[in-house]
Amino acid sequence: MDSKESNALKMDFLSSDALKTRTGMEKISMIVDKVKDGDLVVIEGGLTPEEEANLIETTMREIDVENFMGIDIFTLETNKTSFFGLSKKKTIGITIIGPANVMKAVKKKSNFLSMIANLGDSGASLH
Amino acid sequence: MRKFFRRSFFKNIFNKLIGKDKKLKIGLYGHPNSGKTTLANTMTSDWLGKPIGLISEIPHETRRVYRQEKVKIEYDGVELDFDIVDTPGIATKIDYKNFLEFGLSEEEAKERAKEATKGIIEAIKWLDDVTGVLLVVDATQDPLTQANITIMGNLEARKIPFVIVANKIDLPEASSERISSVFPQHTVVPVSALHGENTADLYQAMVEKFN
Repeated sequence: MDSKESNALKMDFLSSDALKTRTGMEKISMIVDKVKDGDLVVIEGGLTPEEEANLIETTMREIDVENFMGIDIFTLETNKTSFFGLSKKKTIGITIIGPANVMKAVKKKSNFLSMIANLGDSGASLH
Repeated sequence: MRKFFRRSFFKNIFNKLIGKDKKLKIGLYGHPNSGKTTLANTMTSDWLGKPIGLISEIPHETRRVYRQEKVKIEYDGVELDFDIVDTPGIATKIDYKNFLEFGLSEEEAKERAKEATKGIIEAIKWLDDVTGVLLVVDATQDPLTQANITIMGNLEARKIPFVIVANKIDLPEASSERISSVFPQHTVVPVSALHGENTADLYQAMVEKFN
């Protein structure tokens, strides 16, 4: 962690362009490294199903029962209209990945996500 | 029904022609405690007369893959031969402290957590090897979870057919309709694996989907 106070939450926002240049495994390693450090990662767009499976697998390898218990992932979807407005498809707008002991989703709807981050004695709220 | 049998007959011939008549391996996937092993036990008890594995209220009871070969189910004259692959529940996190509530010692709880992580990795690896999946969802819980989304996304990407089993419908708070409304494009079969309720509908769906 970059000189982070124990009761502070670091959030990294990554654009889809920033992730495009990385391979699937590079992306997963970077996410898990950050989350293991206690950071919250917000990604523009989503991961592919294979990347999601790799993320869970890598997380399981990194779990240390004392200090790192895994991750939580939340997504917000958007409706994408294509083919001259004839078909509608749901795509992932943003993906939020963070340490399981920190993140707690309070409310999740298709277009709204409310989260509480537990930081020991203090707390941060994200809406 | 004759039409269905004829369709299945020609499908079998077609599958043989394109080399698709390989051994069917039906994986049971889902969250910890969704009832995968209970369902596997019900299926093997119905068709082989014996259970496949131990069940427990403590999450992550199944921590390695169990396989039962040569299960044959029959629905309306159509047979389905397959192996059952009962996998550990998939989760994105494991907190050993949750096991302490079930009376495990700290040492036992930590050991269970470590074994559970290995079981999840094994379950994910098996996605490359199954030919069909029963995605077992606890109908009393919110079905829209990351584990369910990841499993379904991977099955779709790999073109593996699957049936969603809305389990625990014997409980008053269960709602299979909630699962159908969240995943309207997929086959959802409500069952109670514990009481063997509605399993005939599940066997019919399996014959239609996996044959």
